[in-house]
Amino acid sequence: MPAMYKVRPLHSVGVLAEHLPGCMYALPNLHRPHGTAAQEEVDPSLQALECRQEEILKRLYELKSAVDGLSKMIQTPDADFDVTNIIQTDEFSPLATNGADLDLMLGKDYGALKDVVINANPSLPPLSLLVIHSLLCERYKILSAVHTHSSVKSVPENLLKCFGEQTKQQPRHEYQLGFTLIWKDVPKPQMKFSIQTMCPIEGEGNIARFLFSLFGQKYNAVTSTLIDSWVDTAIFQLKEGSSKERGAVLRSMNAALGKSSWLVGSELTLADVVAWCALQQTGAANTAPANVQKWMKSCENLAPFSSVMKLLK
Amino acid sequence: MDCGAGRARTTVPQPCPAQQHSPQHHQRGAGGAETGQAGGSSRRTAPEGSAAPPPPPPRPRPQPALRARRAERAGAALAILSAGAGRGRGGRGALARTGRAEAAWRVRGRVGPCGAVRGREGRARRRRMPSAAGRGHGQDRRPDNEDSSAADDYAKERYGVSSMIQSQEKPDRVLVRVKDLTLEKADEEVWVRGRIHTSRAKGKQCFLVLRQQQFNIQALVAVGQHASKQMVKFAANITKESIVDIEGVVRKAHQKIGGCTQQDVELHVQRIYVISSAEPRLPLQLDDAVRPEVEGEEDGRATVNQDTRLDNRIIDLRTSTSQAIFCLQSGICQLFRETLIRKGFVEIQTPKIISVFRAEDSNTHRHLTEFVGLDIEMAFNYHYHEVVDEIADTLVQIFKGLQERFQTEIQTVSKQFPCEPFKFLEPTLRLEYREGVAMLREAGVEMGDEEDLSTPNEKLLGRLVKEKYDTDFYILDKYPLAVRPFYTMPDPANPKTSNSYDMFMRGEEILSGAQRIHDPQLLTERAKHHGIDLEKIKAYIDSFRFGAPPHAGGGIGLERVTMLYLGLHNVRQTSMFPRDPKRLTP
Repeated sequence: MPAMYKVRPLHSVGVLAEHLPGCMYALPNLHRPHGTAAQEEVDPSLQALECRQEEILKRLYELKSAVDGLSKMIQTPDADFDVTNIIQTDEFSPLATNGADLDLMLGKDYGALKDVVINANPSLPPLSLLVIHSLLCERYKILSAVHTHSSVKSVPENLLKCFGEQTKQQPRHEYQLGFTLIWKDVPKPQMKFSIQTMCPIEGEGNIARFLFSLFGQKYNAVTSTLIDSWVDTAIFQLKEGSSKERGAVLRSMNAALGKSSWLVGSELTLADVVAWCALQQTGAANTAPANVQKWMKSCENLAPFSSVMKLLK
Repeated sequence: MDCGAGRARTTVPQPCPAQQHSPQHHQRGAGGAETGQAGGSSRRTAPEGSAAPPPPPPRPRPQPALRARRAERAGAALAILSAGAGRGRGGRGALARTGRAEAAWRVRGRVGPCGAVRGREGRARRRRMPSAAGRGHGQDRRPDNEDSSAADDYAKERYGVSSMIQSQEKPDRVLVRVKDLTLEKADEEVWVRGRIHTSRAKGKQCFLVLRQQQFNIQALVAVGQHASKQMVKFAANITKESIVDIEGVVRKAHQKIGGCTQQDVELHVQRIYVISSAEPRLPLQLDDAVRPEVEGEEDGRATVNQDTRLDNRIIDLRTSTSQAIFCLQSGICQLFRETLIRKGFVEIQTPKIISVFRAEDSNTHRHLTEFVGLDIEMAFNYHYHEVVDEIADTLVQIFKGLQERFQTEIQTVSKQFPCEPFKFLEPTLRLEYREGVAMLREAGVEMGDEEDLSTPNEKLLGRLVKEKYDTDFYILDKYPLAVRPFYTMPDPANPKTSNSYDMFMRGEEILSGAQRIHDPQLLTERAKHHGIDLEKIKAYIDSFRFGAPPHAGGGIGLERVTMLYLGLHNVRQTSMFPRDPKRLTP
C-alpha cells in the first residue's frame, strides 16, 4: 500500500551537497566562484518580471518621445502641416515572432492555451477576421476550431470548413494561441478572450483591431489614428451606409491610393484588410475607381485574401 | 426500466431475470398505453385502463456494486467486476461493427415498478392512499341513478356509474384521444375517455375539464335535449380524478379557452359514464403540485413539497410536469438507442444486475442509490478521441432530437420550473484539464495541478465555460492519472496525466470515462500501484490475455441527464420511483 499523500520535496538535495561536519547550520559558501549551480538557477518568473519591466520602461520612453514630438508639432506655426511626412518617417518595427512577446501582450501566463473565442453570425461572416486569422497563422502556432452553436440550425458547409483542414497533431498546450470561431445567432460579431479582465468586445472592426495588434506593429499616433478612422469608415459607411455614402468613401479611397500603394503608407495595415472585406461584402467591387481596382488586385495576390474569396462563392 | 420499444417485459422475482429483446417497434396507437405496475407484466389496455394489478412481489435486490468513482479515487478496492456490475469491457460483448472497430453498448434499466412506457397515468385508486382523510370522512355523495327523481328523468340512460369492466363485451366504439380533438373535428360526434380534472357547476350548466396525460379539454354538460337537470347534477358530483367515458359533439369555442391545451374547441356532452371513480379526498391536489414555486409563494397558495410528492408518487406522476418529464426521458433513451444503432453499435444486457447501484451514503440532490445507466464501450483504431467524439456526438444528437421532437414537453416543464434552454456546440467543446485549472486560477481559485476538481469548482468551471463559450455541455480531457481508477490508460506524453475525460451538463458531471488498459501486464502493474488484491480481479485481467483491442467508454446516468437538460434541481424529479438511502417506497 503506497502512501496516501505524496508530498513534493521542498528542496533538492543538491543544494546542501557540502556537508560540513560539526556545523549546526550549513550555509552556502559565499566565496565560491561565480557560475556555480546556485547562481545558475534563475527563477523563470523573475526573468519574466524583468522582461516585463524592461518592456514597460521601453514603452514609457516611446510614449515620452511621442508626446515630445506632438508638443513640437503643436507648437509649430505651420498650419497646413503635411502628415504624410510623418508616415514616411514611420518606422516599421520587425514583427514579433515568438510566443513570449505574445505573453507580454496578453498578460499573465497560466501555463495553458490562451483561447480567443469569436461568435459570429453565419448570415454575415466576418471576412476581415478570417483574413487576419490567416495572417496570424503565418506568424504564430494557432490552434483553430470551428463550432456551431445550438442557436443556429444550419451553417453552410464552406463556413464550417473556413479554416481548411486542421491538422491537430500536437498537444493543445504547445500552441501559442487558440482561435475558436463559433457560428451563433448574434446581431454583431463578438469576441470573448479573458473573461476575468475584459468585457466581451462587440463589432467586427474592434475585434479586428485587437487581433491585428497581436502582430506587435508599432505606429505613431497619427498613423494609428488614420488606420482607426479607415476601419470605422469601412465598417459604418462602406458596409452599412447608403450608396451615396459608399460613393464618397470610394472617391476618398481612390485619392489616398493615388499617393501610396496601400491605404495608409507603404505597408499593408488593418485598414486595407477591413476595407477590402467590406468592399467584397457590399458587392461594390466592380464599380470601384481605377486606383481602388488596382489596390484590390494587389490584396487578392496575397494568400490570406484569396482564401477568403472562396468563402464568398 | 427498459425504455425501448413499448413491449411487455416480464420480471421474475429472481436475481437473474433473463431479458429478451424483442424488436417490436413502439406504437403510439390510440389508447396504446401500458400500465406501470410493480413487478407485473405490463399489459396493453384501453386507455386509462383500470385493471387492478397484483400487489408487487418483493423486489430482488442484487449485490450492490461499488460504482462510486469518488470511492475508487480514495483508493478503495474495486468490486466492479467481481460483483458482476458488469462494467464488462473489452472482449466482453464487443461485437463486430461494419467496416469499423468493434463496439457494444448497453442500457441497464431497472425492471422495477415501472414497466411503464409512454403515457400512462398509473393505476386508478388501486393503492391505498396514506391520506389523512380516511374513508367515511366526507360523505360519499356518489349520485345514484335510482334516486327519487329518477323516475321522471328523461336522460337517465345517458349517464351513470357503469359496471366494472371485466371484459364482458367488445363494443364497436372508437375512443378518440384528447390530443386529437382539434378544429378539424368540429361538429363531429366522438367518444372520449379521460379523467375529471376539475368540475364547476353553474345552475343549469356544468363545466368539466377532461384530462388525458398532458392534454385537457373543456367539456360542457348543459340542460337541454340531451341532458336533464339530474344529469348535470350527477356530472357535477363526479369526484376529481375519476375516469369517465363521454360521448359528445366537438364544437368550436367562441373564444380561446386559456386553461386548456385544446383551446379552440370544447366538448358538448351527450352521455357520461363513470368507469372508475376516485375517492373524494385526494392526498394532494394536482393544481398545487404543478404550481411554480415562485408563484405559489406570491399568492400564498400551497405548493407541494418534494417528499409529499414522492409519498404520493402515483398522483404526482399524473401532473403535466411529470408526464412531460418522463415522456422526454423515454425520448432520451430512444434517441440514445437510435443514434448508436445508426453508428453500428450492438445492444447488450449484462447479467445479474439490472440497474446501476451506488453504495454511497450520499443524500444529495443528485445522487440516487439506484439509477438507470446508459453505458458505451467501443473499440477504437488508434486514438481514444475516436470514442470521445462518438460519445459526444451521440449526446449532441440526443439534445438536437429533444429540441426537435419534444418542444411541447420542454415548454410544459419550464412552465413550472423555468430555466434557460439548454445550449451546446457542435462539435462539442473539448478542453484539457490544465486549461480548466488555468481558468479556475484566473478566477482566483487556488488548486494544485494534480488535484481533483471539487464539486464547487466543477460548478464554477461550468459557469466560466458558459460565460466564455456559451455552452452548457463540454468535455474535460486529460485528467491527472492520480485521481482516476487503476484501469485508466496513462498518457504517453505525460506520465502524470491520463487518457480520461469527464463530460459536463450545466456544470455537473454526467459522464466519466477513459481509455481502458487492454494490456494485462500494464493492468497488473497499475493494480499493484493502487494496492489492489490481484486475486480479486483475476478474471478481469485474464480477459485481456488473448488479444484485446484498444477500447474506451463511459457511462451516463439517465436521470441526471434528464434533470440537467431540463434544468431541474433534484434528481428525484426525474426518477419515477426514486431510491435513496432514506427512501425505499413506493
